[in-house]
Amino acid sequence: MASYLTRRLMLMVVTLFGISIIIFFLLRVVPGNIVDILFDSAGMVNPAEKVKIERELGLDKPIPVQYLAWIGGIAQGDLGYSYVSEKPALDEIAPRIPVTAKLALLALIFSIALGIPLGVISAVKQNSGVDYALRVLSLTGLSVPAFWLGLLILMAFVARFDTIPIYTEPTKSLWEELLLYSVPAAAVGFRSSALIMRLTRSSMLEVLRQDYIRTARAKGASAQAVNYDHALRNALLPVVTIVGIEAAFLFGGPIVTETVFNIPGVARFLVEAIRTRDYPIVQNLVMFIAIVVVVVNFLVDLTYAALDPRIKYAG
Amino acid sequence: MPGDAPVTVSDSGIEIADAYAADLKRAGLRKSGLRGAIGHFFLRHPLGAAGAIIMGVFVFGALFADLITLYDPLQTNAPLSLTPPSRAHWMGADFMGRDIYSRIVYGARISLAVGIGSTLLGCVFGAAIGLTSGYLGGWVDLLAQRIIDILQALPLLVLALVMAAALGPSLRNTIIAIAIPLIPSVARVIRSNTLALRELPFVEAARAIGMSEARIAVRHVLPNTLAPVIVLATAQLGAAILTEASLSFLGLGIPEPYPSWGRMLSESAAEYVRTAPWLVIFPGLAISLTVFGTNLLGDALRDILDPRQRS
Amino acid sequence: MRDTQRLFGKACLLFGAALFAAPVHAEEPKHGGILRIYHRDSPASASILEEATFSTNIPFMGVYNNLVLYDQHKPQNSIDTIVPELAESWSLSDDKTKLTFKLRSGVKWHDGKPFTAADVKCTYDLLMGKSKDKLRKNPRETWYNNVADVTTNGDNEATFNLKRPQPSFIALLASGYSPIYPCHVSARDMRVKPIGTGPFKFVEFKQNESIKIARNPDYWKKGFPYLDGIEFTIIPNRSTAILAFIAGKFDMTFPTEVTIPLLKDIKAQAPDAVCTVAPINVSTNIIVNRDVAPFDNADLRLAMVYALDRKAFIDILAEGQGDIGASLLPPPEGVWGMPPEMLATLPGYGPDVKANRAKAREIMEKLGYGPQKHLSLKVSTRNIATYRDPAVILIDQLKDIYIDAELEPVETSVWHAKASRKDYILGLNLTGNAVDDPDQNFYENYACGSERNFTGYCNKELDALFDKQSQETNVEVRKKLVWEIEKKLVEDVARPIIMHPRQGTCWRPNVKNYTVMVNSSYNGYRFEDVWLDK
Repeated sequence: MASYLTRRLMLMVVTLFGISIIIFFLLRVVPGNIVDILFDSAGMVNPAEKVKIERELGLDKPIPVQYLAWIGGIAQGDLGYSYVSEKPALDEIAPRIPVTAKLALLALIFSIALGIPLGVISAVKQNSGVDYALRVLSLTGLSVPAFWLGLLILMAFVARFDTIPIYTEPTKSLWEELLLYSVPAAAVGFRSSALIMRLTRSSMLEVLRQDYIRTARAKGASAQAVNYDHALRNALLPVVTIVGIEAAFLFGGPIVTETVFNIPGVARFLVEAIRTRDYPIVQNLVMFIAIVVVVVNFLVDLTYAALDPRIKYAG
Repeated sequence: MPGDAPVTVSDSGIEIADAYAADLKRAGLRKSGLRGAIGHFFLRHPLGAAGAIIMGVFVFGALFADLITLYDPLQTNAPLSLTPPSRAHWMGADFMGRDIYSRIVYGARISLAVGIGSTLLGCVFGAAIGLTSGYLGGWVDLLAQRIIDILQALPLLVLALVMAAALGPSLRNTIIAIAIPLIPSVARVIRSNTLALRELPFVEAARAIGMSEARIAVRHVLPNTLAPVIVLATAQLGAAILTEASLSFLGLGIPEPYPSWGRMLSESAAEYVRTAPWLVIFPGLAISLTVFGTNLLGDALRDILDPRQRS
Repeated sequence: MRDTQRLFGKACLLFGAALFAAPVHAEEPKHGGILRIYHRDSPASASILEEATFSTNIPFMGVYNNLVLYDQHKPQNSIDTIVPELAESWSLSDDKTKLTFKLRSGVKWHDGKPFTAADVKCTYDLLMGKSKDKLRKNPRETWYNNVADVTTNGDNEATFNLKRPQPSFIALLASGYSPIYPCHVSARDMRVKPIGTGPFKFVEFKQNESIKIARNPDYWKKGFPYLDGIEFTIIPNRSTAILAFIAGKFDMTFPTEVTIPLLKDIKAQAPDAVCTVAPINVSTNIIVNRDVAPFDNADLRLAMVYALDRKAFIDILAEGQGDIGASLLPPPEGVWGMPPEMLATLPGYGPDVKANRAKAREIMEKLGYGPQKHLSLKVSTRNIATYRDPAVILIDQLKDIYIDAELEPVETSVWHAKASRKDYILGLNLTGNAVDDPDQNFYENYACGSERNFTGYCNKELDALFDKQSQETNVEVRKKLVWEIEKKLVEDVARPIIMHPRQGTCWRPNVKNYTVMVNSSYNGYRFEDVWLDK
């Protein structure tokens, strides 16, 4: 097990390294750079000044040299400066992480709490009215564009409660915070819950047809015991995968939701940084999200091993 | 698209046909021919049939857009700006006076092209990577896993955003930008299934009677992983259409004035959500319904395809 | 229907203007409170001198003072509405080339250091590129082409020495774009943490999140400002922002950013909101590449302008709330634009669109185009709705004269680079005018060699006329000259102006004493005497 862990950790480093190369070079393929953006707000371009700023920012150096400078900086704990705000990139990124983390966590809790039980019910009562209703509900969750849902929710709030659940200023209490994040978390978690529900259902159905379940039934185990003890445990296997994927998605992906609900989290910040070609922010933020995802995947695999006796890890 | 991709698709097509024949036989139906098959499908899978009808309508609209619309979807017209639904323009007009019904029908072409194109691309590559890596193991698995890990650690929409920005706005580039982020999730699920399947008795039995590894992979392992692929692919087809909508909402994707549903729902249209709700409702419904349809159909196919249902 | 709407709009506007022209001081102003406004985007920096967008002016104008400023309660900015600020008074030498400002004493920068004439000199040396410290971007360098230098006499007197007389030079100094910067703070720090003498101190600017400024207790104008502070929440999504305003999260919308359909929405959902609609003096125009085929042909350029149905643009994009004009904002809100009767005689401005289009087709046919032979080209524009939408209409209108145009949406990051490279055939562009004054407009957009003259249009004869009108002290004579220039620019298809749109600003009834300017959207945000009734 220990050697397995070392191997996994090494692989994680390799993955992160690959990501750093991809995002770094991909970003530089995107036309335009920060200097173009800076001049855009001045409504003009001064070629001499442009060259000067590019030199100041080190953008005139060969791309591999820039890459090494970035990686070297990270190794020394220096993430560089935001091109736009001219403040340390770390100071810009750090305060936005807890915001998205809270949103993602709430959404994940919402989607698991809704998705797994409903998926199980749907499978156990296959082809019943309940099953059909739940399937239609889950399909709706997968079919409605997230920002459309967000906008409809906002409008409903304004019309019904005369208030709007968007972020306008830092929250003062935990309760207020929970209240504020719960609406966008539900909006974004609806899709994830639908995905989890579907996978739980199909996985559960599959497991229920397996030989050992039939054997358990034949041996006279009660339906309840079969469904919830034998079947669910095995059915959760692929669900764990999708939960991992969704966790990663929720951390890096709720862009439109953060936009509609005006939440100052990492996803919206990342999009804005891509738009302004703020390389230090994009690179470091993508690396940060990647680290989260890689760690989550690792945890998923560990859970996988714990749940599935069929998988053996070679030393 | 590389030349080998369609082969894999037609393989699964054969599987579908085989499975379906078996399904029919099991049901004790002696009727043969297309009509009987369709009738059977409608009876056994009403939700799937509904999905098939929805998909049929949209595919029909996409193919024959010029026959079933009265107006040029790009024609602006000042006096019609923001007119509500009426007899002449029964889904109303947008703020440039363009007929929304015509734009939605023509938009079906774009949304379906993006949805199907990027899903096929993503699933074919994802399945190929997942199957090879899960089945062969060893250094192939190691390499494939690294590629998957790298792709997966980048958030889907962010990757699509950067890709779209790097490639520039066009239909082909949008398809590519959306397809690439789809690959890892498909590959991962296929791989984990393959991993479990590889150890199952029937595979070992096949191996024992001297079947070649490639044959085992294609004849025994692949069919057994198809159910999750189809569940995933249908979800991804919808996800692809939704991703295109999100890209357009954020200002990338298919450029104006082409009537993509996503573009129709973009931020500028969202501004009119209460003064002219038809601007937002109809494209939103078009997207939701199409995605809904693909998912219904996918569920039914999954029920048919699941190999363990046969015995 | 649309005409009545338009008339109604104008009537409202005039009523609004009349209402605000005489400051309403019937109520006793109250001190305190935070004014909450949403902001449309995250401005590039806090340094007004380096930016050319009101995304920077609106939140940061309150941090600074000018030498002189347009009266914040007279909606129409003109030379007659300029009032002293850091300058107590000003005088012009007999040869009209020395503009001397007597400066207020006892004014302190927000960091406690005293303000002196040296700071005035520093600011303008910075703008003219004469100081050691440099602005990273200097979008309005051309404004000071006529300034030889700035000299000081003691701590309380500064003189602008002009190369030739320029009576409206002071109009440029009165703009929101002309704050005085301190000598002792670097240009870089001014972008990140600005220090001014203004009624509000900079508190914080969180990118994409918020901007906060707070009351300056040591403000030299005793008893001001009334507000404790202003908080801007950055909400780029317009529908979310409007919903938040309707729900009462904000006291005010982002000024001059509410489109006409959204305005209706606000009026319906929040009937107590006070809204005004006014020209923003940002023109929607076409940039034509006259150096390469096909538009190197003057006849083809002319055919294109004959195809324009300006009223259709205004009706579609702004529900009739816009004005047809040439390069300068047309009257009555605009001070300098040519009268409508004269405008109607210019090519493409005649009211009979059908006749104009027939004429355009005639030219096209002469050039060898026709129903069988269309001209294909691209219309390039920024991939932002305010640019894209008029471009789509332009493409549609050009269809009528055998031109098949395709839209080329260009990412914001490359738009200016592309435009300055002249890498386009036709482009759709927006041009903001900081001050309603011909000097600003002509020198910036049409003079040979100006950095903001994207089309590279250069006509030495016109350049001479620009100087001539600039030196003219008689307003009526100057107007005639200005109209002559406008006419030439239209006939030459220098930069065809499609429209001058109007937009709205709304606030809650408890926001008092705020005036929307009617011929500029860059100058009215000092906020020192705005107060909240709550």
